[in-house]
Amino acid sequence: MNDISDARDLLAMARDALAQELLPLLPKDRRYVGLMIGNALGIADREYQTGAAARGGEAERAARLLAASGIPVSAGIGTGPDALPQLRRALCDAIRAGRFDEASARAVLMEHLTRTARDWVSISNPKVLHSTGEDG
Amino acid sequence: MRAITGWLARETGARDVHITRLERLPGGAIQENWTLDATIVGGAWAGKHEWVLRTDAPSSVAASLTRSQEFAVLRVAHANGVIAPQPLFLCSDDTVTGRPFFVMERISGIAAGHLLTRDPQVASHAEELAERLGANLARLHAIAPPQPELDSVLPAPKSNHALATVAEYRAYLDTLNDAHPVLEWALRWCEIRAPTNGGVALIHRDYRTGNYMVDAGRLTGVLDWEFAGWGDPREDLGWFTARCWRFTRPDLEAGGIARSEPFLRGYQAASGRNIARSDLEYWQVMAHIRWAIIALQQAQRHFAGGERSLELALTGRIVHELEYEALAIIAKAKQ
Repeated sequence: MNDISDARDLLAMARDALAQELLPLLPKDRRYVGLMIGNALGIADREYQTGAAARGGEAERAARLLAASGIPVSAGIGTGPDALPQLRRALCDAIRAGRFDEASARAVLMEHLTRTARDWVSISNPKVLHSTGEDG
Repeated sequence: MRAITGWLARETGARDVHITRLERLPGGAIQENWTLDATIVGGAWAGKHEWVLRTDAPSSVAASLTRSQEFAVLRVAHANGVIAPQPLFLCSDDTVTGRPFFVMERISGIAAGHLLTRDPQVASHAEELAERLGANLARLHAIAPPQPELDSVLPAPKSNHALATVAEYRAYLDTLNDAHPVLEWALRWCEIRAPTNGGVALIHRDYRTGNYMVDAGRLTGVLDWEFAGWGDPREDLGWFTARCWRFTRPDLEAGGIARSEPFLRGYQAASGRNIARSDLEYWQVMAHIRWAIIALQQAQRHFAGGERSLELALTGRIVHELEYEALAIIAKAKQ
Protein backbone atom coordinates (compact mmCIF):
# COMPACT_ATOMS: atom_id res chain seq x y z
CA MET A 1 0.00 0.00 0.00
CA ASN A 2 1.10 3.52 -0.72
CA ASP A 3 1.22 6.15 1.95
CA ILE A 4 -0.33 8.79 -0.30
CA SER A 5 -2.67 8.65 -3.29
CA ASP A 6 -1.17 8.16 -6.71
CA ALA A 7 -2.60 9.58 -9.93
CA ARG A 8 -4.80 6.56 -10.46
CA ASP A 9 -6.35 6.73 -7.03
CA LEU A 10 -6.98 10.45 -7.40
CA LEU A 11 -8.66 9.99 -10.78
CA ALA A 12 -10.84 7.21 -9.40
CA MET A 13 -11.85 9.35 -6.41
CA ALA A 14 -12.56 12.35 -8.65
CA ARG A 15 -14.82 10.20 -10.86
CA ASP A 16 -16.69 8.83 -7.86
CA ALA A 17 -17.19 12.28 -6.36
CA LEU A 18 -18.46 13.58 -9.68
CA ALA A 19 -20.85 10.67 -10.23
CA GLN A 20 -22.19 10.45 -6.69
CA GLU A 21 -22.09 13.99 -5.39
CA LEU A 22 -22.25 16.36 -8.35
CA LEU A 23 -24.11 14.70 -11.24
CA PRO A 24 -27.38 14.30 -9.30
CA LEU A 25 -27.34 18.04 -8.52
CA LEU A 26 -26.70 19.30 -12.02
CA PRO A 27 -29.58 20.89 -13.91
CA LYS A 28 -30.75 18.88 -16.91
CA ASP A 29 -29.16 21.16 -19.49
CA ARG A 30 -25.72 20.97 -17.77
CA ARG A 31 -25.74 17.23 -17.15
CA TYR A 32 -23.84 16.53 -20.38
CA VAL A 33 -20.94 18.68 -19.08
CA GLY A 34 -20.72 16.44 -16.00
CA LEU A 35 -20.84 13.36 -18.21
CA MET A 36 -18.08 14.75 -20.44
CA ILE A 37 -15.88 15.39 -17.39
CA GLY A 38 -16.50 11.81 -16.22
CA ASN A 39 -15.62 10.53 -19.68
CA ALA A 40 -12.40 12.60 -19.76
CA LEU A 41 -11.36 11.32 -16.30
CA GLY A 42 -12.02 7.75 -17.41
CA ILE A 43 -9.86 8.15 -20.53
CA ALA A 44 -7.11 9.77 -18.46
CA ASP A 45 -7.21 6.89 -15.96
CA ARG A 46 -7.01 4.22 -18.67
CA GLU A 47 -4.28 6.08 -20.54
CA TYR A 48 -2.34 6.41 -17.28
CA GLN A 49 -2.55 2.65 -16.79
CA THR A 50 -1.91 1.35 -20.30
CA GLY A 51 -0.94 4.33 -22.50
CA ALA A 52 2.81 3.79 -22.13
CA ALA A 53 2.47 0.09 -22.98
CA ALA A 54 0.27 0.92 -25.98
CA ARG A 55 2.82 3.43 -27.26
CA GLY A 56 5.77 1.14 -26.60
CA GLY A 57 4.08 -1.85 -28.23
CA GLU A 58 3.01 0.13 -31.28
CA ALA A 59 6.51 1.57 -31.77
CA GLU A 60 8.18 -1.78 -31.36
CA ARG A 61 5.81 -3.54 -33.79
CA ALA A 62 6.00 -0.68 -36.33
CA ALA A 63 9.81 -0.77 -36.27
CA ARG A 64 9.78 -4.55 -36.75
CA LEU A 65 7.22 -4.32 -39.57
CA LEU A 66 9.19 -1.65 -41.40
CA ALA A 67 12.44 -3.59 -41.06
CA ALA A 68 10.85 -6.86 -42.18
CA SER A 69 9.33 -5.10 -45.18
CA GLY A 70 12.70 -3.65 -46.17
CA ILE A 71 11.48 -0.09 -45.72
CA PRO A 72 14.32 2.24 -44.77
CA VAL A 73 13.79 4.49 -41.77
CA SER A 74 16.05 7.48 -41.16
CA ALA A 75 19.08 6.57 -39.09
CA GLY A 76 18.93 7.12 -35.35
CA ILE A 77 15.16 6.97 -35.00
CA GLY A 78 15.21 3.93 -32.76
CA THR A 79 12.37 1.59 -31.83
CA GLY A 80 11.21 3.00 -28.51
CA PRO A 81 8.07 5.02 -27.73
CA ASP A 82 9.94 8.30 -28.39
CA ALA A 83 10.35 7.18 -32.00
CA LEU A 84 6.62 6.58 -32.45
CA PRO A 85 5.83 9.78 -34.41
CA GLN A 86 8.60 9.08 -36.95
CA LEU A 87 7.75 5.37 -37.16
CA ARG A 88 4.09 6.18 -37.81
CA ARG A 89 5.11 8.66 -40.49
CA ALA A 90 7.41 6.14 -42.19
CA LEU A 91 4.64 3.54 -42.10
CA CYS A 92 2.13 6.00 -43.59
CA ASP A 93 4.51 6.90 -46.42
CA ALA A 94 5.05 3.21 -47.22
CA ILE A 95 1.29 2.49 -47.13
CA ARG A 96 0.57 5.35 -49.50
CA ALA A 97 3.36 4.20 -51.82
CA GLY A 98 1.64 0.82 -52.12
CA ARG A 99 4.23 -1.20 -50.18
CA PHE A 100 1.49 -3.18 -48.37
CA ASP A 101 -0.85 -3.82 -51.29
CA GLU A 102 0.26 -7.39 -51.87
CA ALA A 103 -1.71 -10.03 -49.88
CA SER A 104 0.98 -11.28 -47.47
CA ALA A 105 2.30 -7.77 -46.72
CA ARG A 106 -1.28 -6.61 -46.23
CA ALA A 107 -1.97 -9.41 -43.74
CA VAL A 108 1.01 -8.45 -41.59
CA LEU A 109 0.07 -4.78 -41.73
CA MET A 110 -3.54 -5.57 -40.79
CA GLU A 111 -2.33 -7.53 -37.78
CA HIS A 112 -0.28 -4.59 -36.56
CA LEU A 113 -2.99 -2.00 -37.20
CA THR A 114 -5.76 -4.11 -35.65
CA ARG A 115 -3.71 -4.63 -32.51
CA THR A 116 -2.89 -0.91 -32.38
CA ALA A 117 -6.51 0.16 -32.92
CA ARG A 118 -7.66 -2.28 -30.24
CA ASP A 119 -5.12 -0.93 -27.72
CA TRP A 120 -6.19 2.67 -28.33
CA VAL A 121 -9.92 2.00 -28.32
CA SER A 122 -9.41 0.14 -25.02
CA ILE A 123 -8.26 3.49 -23.67
CA SER A 124 -10.58 5.91 -25.48
CA ASN A 125 -13.83 3.93 -25.43
CA PRO A 126 -13.61 0.27 -24.35
CA LYS A 127 -17.42 -0.07 -24.57
CA VAL A 128 -17.22 -0.39 -28.35
CA LEU A 129 -14.80 -3.34 -28.35
CA HIS A 130 -16.45 -6.21 -30.17
CA SER A 131 -17.04 -9.26 -28.06
CA THR A 132 -16.03 -11.65 -30.83
CA GLY A 133 -12.61 -11.43 -32.46
CA GLU A 134 -12.44 -9.61 -35.76
CA ASP A 135 -8.69 -9.84 -35.84
CA GLY A 136 -8.69 -12.36 -38.68
CA MET B 1 -36.56 41.66 -34.75
CA ARG B 2 -37.85 44.83 -36.41
CA ALA B 3 -35.50 44.24 -39.34
CA ILE B 4 -36.79 40.69 -39.78
CA THR B 5 -40.39 41.89 -39.53
CA GLY B 6 -39.84 44.43 -42.30
CA TRP B 7 -38.00 41.95 -44.50
CA LEU B 8 -40.71 39.31 -44.00
CA ALA B 9 -43.42 41.85 -44.89
CA ARG B 10 -41.64 42.59 -48.18
CA GLU B 11 -41.11 38.89 -48.96
CA THR B 12 -44.71 37.93 -48.26
CA GLY B 13 -46.30 41.07 -49.72
CA ALA B 14 -48.00 41.58 -46.37
CA ARG B 15 -49.67 44.71 -45.04
CA ASP B 16 -48.36 43.88 -41.62
CA VAL B 17 -46.32 41.15 -39.88
CA HIS B 18 -46.35 40.25 -36.19
CA ILE B 19 -43.58 37.95 -34.99
CA THR B 20 -45.06 36.19 -31.96
CA ARG B 21 -42.11 33.96 -31.14
CA LEU B 22 -38.42 33.96 -32.03
CA GLU B 23 -36.34 31.52 -29.96
CA ARG B 24 -33.05 29.77 -30.54
CA LEU B 25 -33.41 25.99 -30.84
CA PRO B 26 -30.80 23.85 -29.05
CA GLY B 27 -27.90 22.27 -30.96
CA GLY B 28 -26.21 23.34 -34.16
CA ALA B 29 -22.54 24.21 -33.75
CA ILE B 30 -22.20 25.49 -37.31
CA GLN B 31 -25.73 26.69 -38.00
CA GLU B 32 -28.31 28.19 -35.70
CA ASN B 33 -32.00 27.35 -35.98
CA TRP B 34 -34.63 29.63 -34.53
CA THR B 35 -38.31 28.97 -33.97
CA LEU B 36 -40.20 31.70 -35.83
CA ASP B 37 -43.95 32.12 -35.32
CA ALA B 38 -45.54 34.90 -37.31
CA THR B 39 -48.96 36.32 -38.05
CA ILE B 40 -49.11 37.73 -41.56
CA VAL B 41 -51.76 40.34 -42.30
CA GLY B 42 -52.75 40.71 -45.95
CA GLY B 43 -51.13 39.31 -49.06
CA ALA B 44 -50.80 35.74 -50.32
CA TRP B 45 -49.39 34.48 -46.98
CA ALA B 46 -52.11 35.95 -44.73
CA GLY B 47 -52.57 33.88 -41.57
CA LYS B 48 -50.61 32.31 -38.73
CA HIS B 49 -47.40 30.44 -39.54
CA GLU B 50 -44.96 28.20 -37.68
CA TRP B 51 -41.58 28.46 -39.33
CA VAL B 52 -37.87 27.95 -38.66
CA LEU B 53 -35.22 30.58 -39.36
CA ARG B 54 -31.84 29.05 -40.19
CA THR B 55 -28.67 31.13 -40.08
CA ASP B 56 -24.89 30.77 -39.70
CA ALA B 57 -23.50 30.53 -36.18
CA PRO B 58 -20.98 33.30 -35.41
CA SER B 59 -18.04 30.90 -35.90
CA SER B 60 -18.81 29.01 -39.06
CA VAL B 61 -16.72 26.24 -40.55
CA ALA B 62 -15.48 26.14 -44.11
CA ALA B 63 -16.37 23.25 -46.41
CA SER B 64 -20.08 23.48 -45.79
CA LEU B 65 -22.59 25.24 -48.03
CA THR B 66 -23.61 28.85 -47.53
CA ARG B 67 -27.24 29.53 -46.59
CA SER B 68 -28.11 30.53 -50.15
CA GLN B 69 -26.54 27.34 -51.55
CA GLU B 70 -28.33 25.25 -48.95
CA PHE B 71 -31.60 27.02 -49.76
CA ALA B 72 -31.19 26.20 -53.47
CA VAL B 73 -30.42 22.53 -52.73
CA LEU B 74 -33.36 22.20 -50.36
CA ARG B 75 -35.66 23.82 -52.92
CA VAL B 76 -34.66 21.35 -55.64
CA ALA B 77 -34.87 18.37 -53.26
CA HIS B 78 -38.28 19.41 -51.96
CA ALA B 79 -39.60 20.07 -55.46
CA ASN B 80 -38.52 16.55 -56.45
CA GLY B 81 -40.55 14.93 -53.70
CA VAL B 82 -37.87 14.45 -51.06
CA ILE B 83 -39.47 14.59 -47.60
CA ALA B 84 -37.87 17.70 -46.14
CA PRO B 85 -39.00 21.05 -44.74
CA GLN B 86 -40.24 23.31 -47.52
CA PRO B 87 -37.84 26.24 -47.96
CA LEU B 88 -39.76 29.51 -48.16
CA PHE B 89 -37.73 32.73 -48.18
CA LEU B 90 -34.01 33.45 -48.50
CA CYS B 91 -32.28 36.58 -47.24
CA SER B 92 -28.78 37.07 -48.64
CA ASP B 93 -28.76 40.69 -47.51
CA ASP B 94 -26.35 40.98 -44.55
CA THR B 95 -27.86 44.30 -43.51
CA VAL B 96 -31.04 42.64 -42.17
CA THR B 97 -29.58 40.56 -39.30
CA GLY B 98 -25.86 40.78 -40.06
CA ARG B 99 -25.78 37.22 -41.45
CA PRO B 100 -27.54 35.46 -44.31
CA PHE B 101 -30.50 33.28 -43.36
CA PHE B 102 -33.53 31.53 -44.74
CA VAL B 103 -36.99 30.67 -43.50
CA MET B 104 -38.47 27.20 -43.91
CA GLU B 105 -41.52 25.26 -42.85
CA ARG B 106 -41.34 23.87 -39.29
CA ILE B 107 -41.80 20.11 -39.17
CA SER B 108 -42.83 18.13 -36.11
CA GLY B 109 -41.10 15.31 -34.28
CA ILE B 110 -37.75 14.46 -32.75
CA ALA B 111 -34.38 13.97 -34.44
CA ALA B 112 -31.97 13.10 -31.58
CA GLY B 113 -30.37 9.72 -32.27
CA HIS B 114 -30.09 8.61 -28.65
CA LEU B 115 -33.87 9.19 -28.26
CA LEU B 116 -35.02 7.78 -31.61
CA THR B 117 -33.06 4.54 -31.26
CA ARG B 118 -34.87 3.73 -28.01
CA ASP B 119 -38.29 5.16 -28.83
CA PRO B 120 -40.98 2.44 -28.58
CA GLN B 121 -43.10 4.18 -31.23
CA VAL B 122 -40.16 4.14 -33.63
CA ALA B 123 -39.55 0.48 -32.77
CA SER B 124 -43.12 -0.47 -33.63
CA HIS B 125 -42.86 1.31 -37.03
CA ALA B 126 -39.19 0.47 -37.58
CA GLU B 127 -39.33 -1.48 -40.84
CA GLU B 128 -41.79 0.94 -42.43
CA LEU B 129 -39.73 3.92 -41.32
CA ALA B 130 -36.50 2.39 -42.66
CA GLU B 131 -38.19 1.61 -45.98
CA ARG B 132 -39.47 5.18 -46.17
CA LEU B 133 -35.98 6.54 -45.44
CA GLY B 134 -34.59 4.35 -48.23
CA ALA B 135 -37.23 5.44 -50.73
CA ASN B 136 -36.76 9.06 -49.71
CA LEU B 137 -33.01 8.85 -50.32
CA ALA B 138 -33.71 7.30 -53.73
CA ARG B 139 -35.85 10.32 -54.63
CA LEU B 140 -32.93 12.59 -53.77
CA HIS B 141 -30.54 10.46 -55.84
CA ALA B 142 -32.88 10.68 -58.83
CA ILE B 143 -31.73 14.30 -59.14
CA ALA B 144 -28.78 14.29 -61.54
CA PRO B 145 -26.89 17.06 -63.28
CA PRO B 146 -27.51 19.19 -65.23
CA GLN B 147 -29.93 21.08 -62.98
CA PRO B 148 -30.30 24.72 -63.98
CA GLU B 149 -31.06 25.77 -60.38
CA LEU B 150 -27.96 24.04 -59.00
CA ASP B 151 -25.29 24.12 -61.67
CA SER B 152 -24.17 27.63 -60.80
CA VAL B 153 -24.59 26.95 -57.07
CA LEU B 154 -22.70 23.69 -56.44
CA PRO B 155 -19.14 22.75 -57.37
CA ALA B 156 -19.04 20.65 -60.55
CA PRO B 157 -19.11 16.86 -60.03
CA LYS B 158 -15.74 15.06 -59.92
CA SER B 159 -14.96 12.46 -62.57
CA ASN B 160 -14.45 9.85 -59.82
CA HIS B 161 -16.08 10.82 -56.55
CA ALA B 162 -14.35 8.09 -54.49
CA LEU B 163 -10.84 8.94 -55.72
CA ALA B 164 -11.48 12.67 -55.33
CA THR B 165 -12.63 12.01 -51.76
CA VAL B 166 -9.51 9.95 -50.97
CA ALA B 167 -7.32 12.76 -52.34
CA GLU B 168 -9.20 15.36 -50.30
CA TYR B 169 -8.82 13.42 -47.02
CA ARG B 170 -5.13 12.74 -47.68
CA ALA B 171 -4.52 16.41 -48.35
CA TYR B 172 -6.08 17.18 -44.96
CA LEU B 173 -4.05 14.51 -43.14
CA ASP B 174 -0.90 16.01 -44.68
CA THR B 175 -1.58 19.29 -42.86
CA LEU B 176 -1.46 17.59 -39.42
CA ASN B 177 1.52 17.07 -37.12
CA ASP B 178 0.87 13.39 -36.39
CA ALA B 179 0.66 10.56 -38.91
CA HIS B 180 -2.35 8.23 -38.74
CA PRO B 181 -1.45 4.77 -40.10
CA VAL B 182 -4.92 3.22 -39.74
CA LEU B 183 -6.59 6.05 -41.65
CA GLU B 184 -3.79 5.94 -44.19
CA TRP B 185 -4.36 2.22 -44.76
CA ALA B 186 -8.14 2.61 -44.95
CA LEU B 187 -7.62 5.35 -47.56
CA ARG B 188 -5.23 3.14 -49.55
CA TRP B 189 -7.81 0.32 -49.38
CA CYS B 190 -10.48 2.70 -50.69
CA GLU B 191 -8.14 3.95 -53.41
CA ILE B 192 -7.35 0.46 -54.70
CA ARG B 193 -11.03 -0.51 -54.71
CA ALA B 194 -12.44 2.81 -55.92
CA PRO B 195 -15.64 2.09 -57.85
CA THR B 196 -16.03 3.58 -61.28
CA ASN B 197 -19.68 2.81 -61.94
CA GLY B 198 -21.44 4.91 -59.34
CA GLY B 199 -22.95 7.61 -61.48
CA VAL B 200 -23.45 11.15 -60.23
CA ALA B 201 -26.43 12.30 -58.19
CA LEU B 202 -27.35 14.98 -55.70
CA ILE B 203 -26.21 13.50 -52.39
CA HIS B 204 -26.93 14.76 -48.88
CA ARG B 205 -23.62 13.73 -47.26
CA ASP B 206 -25.09 13.73 -43.76
CA TYR B 207 -28.18 11.53 -44.23
CA ARG B 208 -28.25 9.65 -40.93
CA THR B 209 -30.13 9.13 -37.71
CA GLY B 210 -29.98 12.45 -35.88
CA ASN B 211 -30.62 14.46 -39.04
CA TYR B 212 -34.20 13.52 -39.81
CA MET B 213 -37.37 14.15 -37.86
CA VAL B 214 -39.78 11.42 -36.82
CA ASP B 215 -43.22 12.06 -35.36
CA ALA B 216 -45.15 9.10 -33.92
CA GLY B 217 -42.94 6.70 -35.86
CA ARG B 218 -43.36 8.54 -39.18
CA LEU B 219 -40.71 10.38 -41.17
CA THR B 220 -41.57 14.08 -41.27
CA GLY B 221 -38.47 15.48 -42.92
CA VAL B 222 -34.73 15.39 -43.55
CA LEU B 223 -32.70 18.24 -42.05
CA ASP B 224 -29.20 19.73 -42.29
CA TRP B 225 -28.48 20.04 -46.00
CA GLU B 226 -25.28 22.02 -45.50
CA PHE B 227 -22.94 19.29 -46.83
CA ALA B 228 -24.97 18.37 -49.93
CA GLY B 229 -23.32 18.17 -53.33
CA TRP B 230 -22.81 16.05 -56.43
CA GLY B 231 -21.33 12.62 -55.87
CA ASP B 232 -21.61 8.85 -55.87
CA PRO B 233 -25.04 8.10 -54.35
CA ARG B 234 -23.69 5.06 -52.53
CA GLU B 235 -21.76 7.36 -50.22
CA ASP B 236 -25.08 8.30 -48.57
CA LEU B 237 -26.01 4.61 -48.14
CA GLY B 238 -22.70 3.83 -46.44
CA TRP B 239 -23.02 6.88 -44.19
CA PHE B 240 -26.59 6.00 -43.18
CA THR B 241 -25.75 2.39 -42.32
CA ALA B 242 -22.29 2.94 -40.77
CA ARG B 243 -21.93 1.64 -37.24
CA CYS B 244 -20.90 5.07 -35.97
CA TRP B 245 -24.46 6.37 -36.60
CA ARG B 246 -26.44 3.66 -34.83
CA PHE B 247 -26.46 5.31 -31.39
CA THR B 248 -27.90 2.95 -28.73
CA ARG B 249 -28.50 0.08 -31.21
CA PRO B 250 -25.23 -0.90 -32.93
CA ASP B 251 -26.90 -4.18 -33.91
CA LEU B 252 -29.37 -2.41 -36.23
CA GLU B 253 -27.54 -1.51 -39.42
CA ALA B 254 -30.14 0.93 -40.75
CA GLY B 255 -29.25 3.86 -38.51
CA GLY B 256 -29.93 2.02 -35.24
CA ILE B 257 -33.64 1.79 -36.02
CA ALA B 258 -33.99 -1.33 -38.21
CA ARG B 259 -32.13 -4.05 -40.08
CA SER B 260 -30.61 -2.97 -43.39
CA GLU B 261 -33.06 -5.03 -45.49
CA PRO B 262 -36.12 -2.75 -45.30
CA PHE B 263 -33.95 0.33 -45.85
CA LEU B 264 -32.29 -1.15 -48.93
CA ARG B 265 -35.61 -2.57 -50.15
CA GLY B 266 -37.18 0.90 -50.02
CA TYR B 267 -34.16 2.38 -51.78
CA GLN B 268 -34.11 -0.29 -54.45
CA ALA B 269 -37.86 -0.15 -55.15
CA ALA B 270 -37.78 3.62 -55.63
CA SER B 271 -34.47 3.81 -57.54
CA GLY B 272 -34.30 0.55 -59.46
CA ARG B 273 -30.69 0.27 -58.21
CA ASN B 274 -29.33 -2.87 -56.62
CA ILE B 275 -26.83 -2.22 -53.87
CA ALA B 276 -24.18 -4.92 -53.57
CA ARG B 277 -22.98 -5.82 -50.08
CA SER B 278 -19.42 -5.02 -51.15
CA ASP B 279 -20.50 -1.51 -52.22
CA LEU B 280 -22.18 -0.94 -48.89
CA GLU B 281 -19.05 -2.09 -47.04
CA TYR B 282 -16.82 0.09 -49.21
CA TRP B 283 -18.81 3.20 -48.41
CA GLN B 284 -19.09 2.24 -44.73
CA VAL B 285 -15.29 2.23 -44.57
CA MET B 286 -15.31 5.63 -46.28
CA ALA B 287 -17.95 6.82 -43.78
CA HIS B 288 -15.71 5.96 -40.83
CA ILE B 289 -12.75 7.68 -42.50
CA ARG B 290 -14.87 10.76 -43.16
CA TRP B 291 -16.13 10.97 -39.57
CA ALA B 292 -12.54 10.47 -38.34
CA ILE B 293 -11.36 13.35 -40.56
CA ILE B 294 -14.15 15.56 -39.17
CA ALA B 295 -13.25 14.50 -35.60
CA LEU B 296 -9.61 15.45 -36.28
CA GLN B 297 -10.79 18.81 -37.60
CA GLN B 298 -12.78 19.34 -34.40
CA ALA B 299 -9.70 18.44 -32.33
CA GLN B 300 -7.71 20.98 -34.38
CA ARG B 301 -10.24 23.68 -33.50
CA HIS B 302 -9.44 22.85 -29.86
CA PHE B 303 -5.65 22.70 -30.25
CA ALA B 304 -4.91 25.22 -32.95
CA GLY B 305 -8.09 27.13 -33.65
CA GLY B 306 -8.26 29.13 -30.44
CA GLU B 307 -11.43 27.34 -29.30
CA ARG B 308 -10.24 25.39 -26.22
CA SER B 309 -13.15 23.07 -25.42
CA LEU B 310 -13.64 19.77 -23.59
CA GLU B 311 -16.31 18.74 -26.09
CA LEU B 312 -13.99 19.30 -29.08
CA ALA B 313 -11.12 17.56 -27.28
CA LEU B 314 -13.29 14.49 -26.59
CA THR B 315 -14.50 14.47 -30.20
CA GLY B 316 -10.87 14.00 -31.20
CA ARG B 317 -10.72 10.81 -29.09
CA ILE B 318 -13.55 9.31 -31.19
CA VAL B 319 -10.95 8.80 -33.93
CA HIS B 320 -9.79 5.62 -32.18
CA GLU B 321 -13.16 3.86 -32.33
CA LEU B 322 -13.72 5.01 -35.91
CA GLU B 323 -10.36 3.53 -36.91
CA TYR B 324 -11.23 0.33 -35.09
CA GLU B 325 -14.59 0.03 -36.93
CA ALA B 326 -13.07 0.81 -40.32
CA LEU B 327 -10.49 -1.94 -39.81
CA ALA B 328 -13.16 -4.41 -38.67
CA ILE B 329 -15.08 -3.87 -41.94
CA ILE B 330 -11.89 -4.15 -44.02
CA ALA B 331 -10.95 -7.37 -42.21
CA LYS B 332 -14.34 -8.94 -42.97
CA ALA B 333 -14.69 -7.66 -46.54
CA LYS B 334 -13.87 -10.03 -49.39
CA GLN B 335 -10.35 -9.20 -50.53
